[in-house]
Amino acid sequence: MSSALSPKVQNQIAMLQQMQQQMQTIAAQKAQYEMAVREAKRATEELHDVPDDAPVFMSVGTVMMEKKKEDVLKNLTDKIETLELRIKSLEKQEGMLSGKFEQLQSQIKQALEGKAQGAS
Amino acid sequence: MVSKVDRVDPREIQSLQLYLNEYRQQAEIFSQQLAFLEDGRMEAIAAIETLQSLSASPENTVLLQIGSGVSVRAKVPEPDRILVNIGAEVVVEKQNAAAQDYLKDRVTEMEASAKKVAETLERIRSQVNEIAKRIDLAYQQAQMQAAGSPMTPISPKRPTTREED
Repeated sequence: MSSALSPKVQNQIAMLQQMQQQMQTIAAQKAQYEMAVREAKRATEELHDVPDDAPVFMSVGTVMMEKKKEDVLKNLTDKIETLELRIKSLEKQEGMLSGKFEQLQSQIKQALEGKAQGAS
Repeated sequence: MVSKVDRVDPREIQSLQLYLNEYRQQAEIFSQQLAFLEDGRMEAIAAIETLQSLSASPENTVLLQIGSGVSVRAKVPEPDRILVNIGAEVVVEKQNAAAQDYLKDRVTEMEASAKKVAETLERIRSQVNEIAKRIDLAYQQAQMQAAGSPMTPISPKRPTTREED
């Protein structure tokens, strides 16, 4: 089927597929970050419920190190902020790609419709 | 067989087959999620049981597994100081009862999630059955056509899920 299409349309279809893959990769990464944010927020909530003097440990390299509750809370807040920034950046990329994707899709559609009308 | 089906409308069958594959993939993903939740629930229940036993008989020796079926004898010196991983690589010390409560809450949450996933899975499975029936019907029609009976068009509409409603 693809042999009947012009090289330009074939190229556009290849680009469309590439964009689709990029969008899937971005969506997967975004989902991963969103899950990490949820986990960190939940840990923060849980930490608020424990007494201030309760021993709290945090992963440092290959060991769990005892830290002050307030330090761990600050660390989690920073982590949430960083992740949320990354999510926003991914959303921007997603939006841009989605716009380009729709544009390319309509170009291909037009090219195919023109070809079909020309054939009839 | 294929040539008989071609006389019904191959596009309808293709489209139904695509939906069938799509729903089957979704069902597979939800089944895995359900199994994952069930594993988590069972693990939490086992941990609660362990904490209860440690609390009830703190002086008893336990076997600490070190892998490959090998264990060493161990004593738990402070069975009321439990270290609980609360996610995001943070571990908090809790008292035995508080740790049990934490785990019980997790079990309740996992049960609620599992219920939702099971409901969704059930809906998807009923869609799969519906589509499979339609495909069977299409094949039957193809056979009837081959025998010279008049053809009744099968509904090509996509089966709806509750989320789409």
